Amino acid sequence: MRLITISRYRGQLALDLVMPIVFAAMPILLGRATGGAAAADNFLRNTGTANYVAYMLIGSSAFTIVTYAFWHTGYWVRWEQETGTLEAIYLAPTNKLWLVAGVALYSMLRSLISATAAYLIGSAIFHVNPFQGELLIAVAFVVSGLVPLLGVSFLFGALILKLKQANALVNLMQWGVTLLMGVFFPVAVFPPMARVLAWLFPPTWMVNGVRSALLGVGFFFGRWYRDMAVLWAFMLIAPLLGAWVFARVERNIRRNAGMGEY
Amino acid sequence: MTRYPVEFIASFAQVFLIVAVFSLAGLTFADENGRLGQGPASGVVIYGFVLFLFLSDTLWSIGYNIRLEQKQGTLEQLYLSPASKFASLVSRVTTILVWTGLLCLTSAWLMTTFLGKLPLANPGLGLYILIMSLAGTFGVGFALAALTLRIKEAGQTLANGLQFLFLILCANFFPFSALPAGILAVSRCIPLAYAVDAFRSTLMGYPPGFPELAPIGVEIVIVTAFGILMPALGFWAYRRAERRARMTGSLSEY
Repeated sequence: MRLITISRYRGQLALDLVMPIVFAAMPILLGRATGGAAAADNFLRNTGTANYVAYMLIGSSAFTIVTYAFWHTGYWVRWEQETGTLEAIYLAPTNKLWLVAGVALYSMLRSLISATAAYLIGSAIFHVNPFQGELLIAVAFVVSGLVPLLGVSFLFGALILKLKQANALVNLMQWGVTLLMGVFFPVAVFPPMARVLAWLFPPTWMVNGVRSALLGVGFFFGRWYRDMAVLWAFMLIAPLLGAWVFARVERNIRRNAGMGEY
Repeated sequence: MTRYPVEFIASFAQVFLIVAVFSLAGLTFADENGRLGQGPASGVVIYGFVLFLFLSDTLWSIGYNIRLEQKQGTLEQLYLSPASKFASLVSRVTTILVWTGLLCLTSAWLMTTFLGKLPLANPGLGLYILIMSLAGTFGVGFALAALTLRIKEAGQTLANGLQFLFLILCANFFPFSALPAGILAVSRCIPLAYAVDAFRSTLMGYPPGFPELAPIGVEIVIVTAFGILMPALGFWAYRRAERRARMTGSLSEY
């Protein structure tokens, strides 16, 4: 249903493709302009790969997936509140798990299509080969990263329900996670405490896994299956934790002010 | 704004995060001594970012807020009051001037800690170019508000799209020399691109290769014309769109 709705907004769909490319273009063009001929060599020394175009494009595509999870899944309840339909949805004799699963599926599908298309188009524009390295492992990291991301978006949704000022929070969070997951740089540049925080955030493992599989920048634990194991652990913990926190916040709100309060 | 503490703090923190993300991204191209290659990188990025902040806020605060009033059902009530419509638009701009100005100062300071010392030559002329550029961007904001009254929900997409388009075409985060020839030709048709170029070149003291689009005298003339004509043009467009909306009864249509 939501896919049908969004198909009516062609400008928005076009923006879905353009946004990650423009986002990646900024550091790419800055690097080319300031680094000149030495840009690739400097980048190789600092990150482990000379292919800064693919590095940035992977980062911005992953950013798209994470941002969409926040906007579509985390923001969903707030959106229903704003349009005055949340209480009607709660009155329907449907398991809420199916509702959330539907929203999450929509978000994942839309973000995966946008991110993949943006990566391919961006690679064509900047003349890099998008199909290099271990493609299947990269795909496995993306797919495995989606489930814990869903859990994180539930946590975020709970926060929005509690504080309500959704736009400001989503804007803040999307830049916060951009920094945390190292969209344009390796998280190794962080001081130790910030690095630990970054490692506790599942998309950090997803984006580094994809980069390591395609560009060989190096997995956190040396081998792909060890990093994948961490992501699988997140896959179990994050959705359960997210759903539990969301349910608690939701129950508190229903007991007090009510879900429809805007 | 002070009534919304989360939004107040979030908007402030957001700028710090954007600065950190792009500064760290830039530093991945630093040489073995941690220096950011050739050219005055810090001035290009920081001064470009300052203008981007104003442009971004203008596009959202004026155009999109009109849409928000429509959504919340308060636009017609505002129009029923005997207040000046121009004042209503300008009041949104005033917040931007104060708040974004403060954000710019702090973000510029923060960026210098990442990217190095910020050059500050010709502050008087730089301020003049900034004022003219801001006047011009407010005009763009008025025009976008007019368009929002017409295209409604698509206004949000348009504001987003323009924001990203201007980021590339006006080269806020990199020198114009990084743009391919075809895109550079388009940039040369946009007054705001001259504003970005003139503003940062002036404050950097015209290092070799700057300004990039035209001689500084020509750029100042373009920026001045942009600052004087665009607000008048934007407000004229807004009044026309508003009149049309009132005639068709679509002012509060959601």
